[in-house]
Amino acid sequence: MTGLIIATHGNLAEEFLQACSTIIGPLAMARSIAIRREDAVEEIRGRLAAAIEEVGGDGDGVLIMTDMFGGTPANLSLTFLDPGKVEVLTGVNLPMILKFFNTQEGLSLVERASLVKAYGQQGIALASEFLSK
Amino acid sequence: MSIVLVRIDNRLIHGQVLEAWVPAVKANCIVVANDQAAAAPFQRLLMEAAVPKRIKVVVGSVAESSAILSTGELDAYRVLLLYATSEDALSGFRSGAPFHHLNLGNMHAGEGKQKLSCTIALDPEDIGNLQQLEAGGVRIVTQCIPSDRERPWKNLLPLSEC
Repeated sequence: MTGLIIATHGNLAEEFLQACSTIIGPLAMARSIAIRREDAVEEIRGRLAAAIEEVGGDGDGVLIMTDMFGGTPANLSLTFLDPGKVEVLTGVNLPMILKFFNTQEGLSLVERASLVKAYGQQGIALASEFLSK
Repeated sequence: MSIVLVRIDNRLIHGQVLEAWVPAVKANCIVVANDQAAAAPFQRLLMEAAVPKRIKVVVGSVAESSAILSTGELDAYRVLLLYATSEDALSGFRSGAPFHHLNLGNMHAGEGKQKLSCTIALDPEDIGNLQQLEAGGVRIVTQCIPSDRERPWKNLLPLSEC
């Protein structure tokens, strides 16, 4: 199955996985990477490479979700971009992660990533905008 | 020419730069002076895409950046200039980048580097480069994000911040 890595500033990534497991139970093939301001670039890349190896071992590809396009977690994840094998999706939110675990098998990595991206975008709503509908 | 911040940051454009420094110094142009980034079209594309549209992004080699900054082409902008290393900052200064104030942002640990603060590790070569910049009239300070206290770089004491 496709592996998931969440890479964020601080402990956000681990907390996302914790929150997700309180909703849908234990998560397979998921790793979190916390990036702190004192971490050297090469050290972070080393942790990303190890996590890709761990969750991508079965050859079904790895999706890396990161918190912010332009931030260090995204910038360094993007250095591993390998279409079909390693995909990167920025702006991680909880609906996106839940959808990742709830999509059926049999999708290619990029299909799955696109689906999850769309779902994450649908999960953003401004309440008062409903009033004007 | 209005250079509002010159910073050594091995992460180049990233969260601290976009979300903290750009608003703090009201920059509307980011110049990335980096030979590798200038030669990597995909990295350039991502950098440009990550920066809000109202901010101009110029990615050039260290030498190209100095040239652009010297021509007056960016005179109308408030420029935030980024170097990845002390070597690049010295080389940029020597090739004519007009600055007299330098912020040490992220210079992380690596082989042979001594960790002097949470985000700054220097080796004798870095210290030599910074001393040469200082001798050229550049005031050098450490300040990772705007809410950190600005301090002269020579005040760095081993492990004083972590």
